[in-house]
Amino acid sequence: MARSVLIVDDHPGFRAQARALLAVAGYEIVGEAADGASGVRVAMDLSPDVVLLDVQLPDVTGFDLVGRMRDRPDPPAIILISSRDACDYGGRIGRSGAQGFITKAELSARSFEAALEGRAE
Amino acid sequence: MTGPMTRRRWLLAALGVAAVAWIIGGEWVSIHAHVPENHLIDALGGLAFLGAGLVALDRRPASRIGALMIAYAAVAYLGNWGNLQVAVVPLIGLAGQQFGGAIIAHTALSYPTGRLRTSFERAVIGVMYGVGVATAAVIALAFDPRADGCVRCAWEPAPFPSRTAVLTALLVNQRAGFGLVLAFLAAVWLRWRRSTPAERRALTPLWVGIGIVGVVYLMGAFASPDPSADSFAYLVWELQSVLQISLPLVFLWGLLSARLARSAVGDLVVELERPLRPGELRTLLARTLGDPSLELLYALQSQDRWVDADGRPGELPAGPDRGDGRRASVTVTDRAGLPLAALIHDPALDQGLVRAAAAAAGIRIENERLHADVRAQLDEVRASRQRIAEAGDRERRRVERNLHDGAQQRLATLALSLAMLRDRASADPPLAESIERTSAELKQAMAELRELARGIHPAILTEEGLPAAVESLADRSSVPVHVHADFDGRLAEPVEAVGYFVVSESIANVVKYSGAGAARVELSRRDGILLVEVTDDGVGGADAGRGTGLRGLEDRVAAVRGTFSVQSPPGGGTRVSAEIPCAG
Repeated sequence: MARSVLIVDDHPGFRAQARALLAVAGYEIVGEAADGASGVRVAMDLSPDVVLLDVQLPDVTGFDLVGRMRDRPDPPAIILISSRDACDYGGRIGRSGAQGFITKAELSARSFEAALEGRAE
Repeated sequence: MTGPMTRRRWLLAALGVAAVAWIIGGEWVSIHAHVPENHLIDALGGLAFLGAGLVALDRRPASRIGALMIAYAAVAYLGNWGNLQVAVVPLIGLAGQQFGGAIIAHTALSYPTGRLRTSFERAVIGVMYGVGVATAAVIALAFDPRADGCVRCAWEPAPFPSRTAVLTALLVNQRAGFGLVLAFLAAVWLRWRRSTPAERRALTPLWVGIGIVGVVYLMGAFASPDPSADSFAYLVWELQSVLQISLPLVFLWGLLSARLARSAVGDLVVELERPLRPGELRTLLARTLGDPSLELLYALQSQDRWVDADGRPGELPAGPDRGDGRRASVTVTDRAGLPLAALIHDPALDQGLVRAAAAAAGIRIENERLHADVRAQLDEVRASRQRIAEAGDRERRRVERNLHDGAQQRLATLALSLAMLRDRASADPPLAESIERTSAELKQAMAELRELARGIHPAILTEEGLPAAVESLADRSSVPVHVHADFDGRLAEPVEAVGYFVVSESIANVVKYSGAGAARVELSRRDGILLVEVTDDGVGGADAGRGTGLRGLEDRVAAVRGTFSVQSPPGGGTRVSAEIPCAG
């Protein structure tokens, strides 16, 4: 069964591209959200397997959301994304509890799967 | 007494009432004991010392003369109270009396401040008090009130009662007094010789008064300690009593006289001839006016505000209170109608004297006002430079954020689109290859844009703080850089920004110019200071005076009131260090 994905990012263009790219790769995109508050709400409602979560949201940082989204019996895997490099965030990504991190320009089916498996791409 | 009733004045009034009761009571005891003396003259003498002391304490609070005069009134009347034939009172009365002469001499020699000036003066007065203590000790050990006629003294206070011992002690005291009065007159003469002409003129009546009292006390040294013994002893005793009335009045007159005040201002003029340190003018004025609490503020005419000698802002008290419970008066000096300086002082000070002192210090006030003005402007420039640097940092953060939120997001989306197009064009290899090249170019452009954004303001500095940002910088450097930080907490944003740019500029220089094989960054916090040090093993020869990079760093560090230095001997590597106050 295809894994369900929720995309949380404030840029509609990026959400559309990511949705198309992941759908082609066989993932089921169950929802989208443009900010942190609605992202948490939708995640609670839809219980996705994976959340693709932008670090820099208008109302809150993705780092702050990881804990809240994973605070449930069957938590989703969370992949953080940003247009910045991982090195721009130092050790914060590692401490956040997210499954992995992908630079936005590098998002692909392969990098997504690698991140889910906890591998560096 | 003029002016408002302050707490101090209420205390003085209460002290006055108690002391009047002490003197009148002592006199009443003396009358009832049928002591053969002129009670009116005796009481007037005590009251004169008391009244003069109280007025002096009120009008010249910085002088100790008032307190000494009151002490004399209190001690001298112990003798009268000693006539109260009860228990140990006669003993205390006789013992206390032994200090009267020392207090009078102390008052005269330390006039008008109440402070002895030379070691000779201190020695003379010290010996006088010492003789008083020794005599009082003999009295305490040997005086027997009952043997002396105190029929109602129920018990024996002295362990070794001996009337002979007491009379001998009194006689020795009196004979020692002869030498001590001579020493005292010598000290007075020395003081007169050292006085300025203005002081001598101002204190002439005092010299005369002290001289007469000295001579009369000298005569007393030859007379019997018992006034009833012979007519000479009685004459000396009466003369001493009469002089007791005049002496405190002479003291008080001198203390309050305008001529004395003018002589203090004269001293100030002499003091002002030498170079003064910043703020010393306030100290001199405070000393001249006898008001240690005096404050001196200068008017910044261009900005309509007041500052102290260091250019720090100050405020005139809005009302008669300084805000901390102390009362204050303000005297403003001006020139051509424009305020120059404000003296905030004790309201008890004589306004005429304050104005005279301010006028005497006129040029110095003007000069110090100009210095204060310059210092205030310098502080303003420093603060302004700091604000500009902080505004620059804020602007850098904003530009970096805009790049991230705008161009970088769009380019990332574009990169995804190209990736999808490439996948769809797999059936057309030339097209797929063209898209692949375009995609690679785009990723290269994005990497350069990210590097540019980091150079403008590194996100990791905002996210993780200085040590992590410097580690990240070291990771990307082409020359190996070892980072050691002895803290991992956050600092104020401006401090982190300056510390980061010191390291990033220094590492850029290491890479570009030093030819070094390795570099080391030390970050440490000590006593509220961030210490940043970047060293390398390169060719050295860097000069902060040349090249805009190091010069710009020096300016950035100075803007947050830090210090910056570069040591770079040719062939000896380079050491860049900055100390940045953590308060930002």
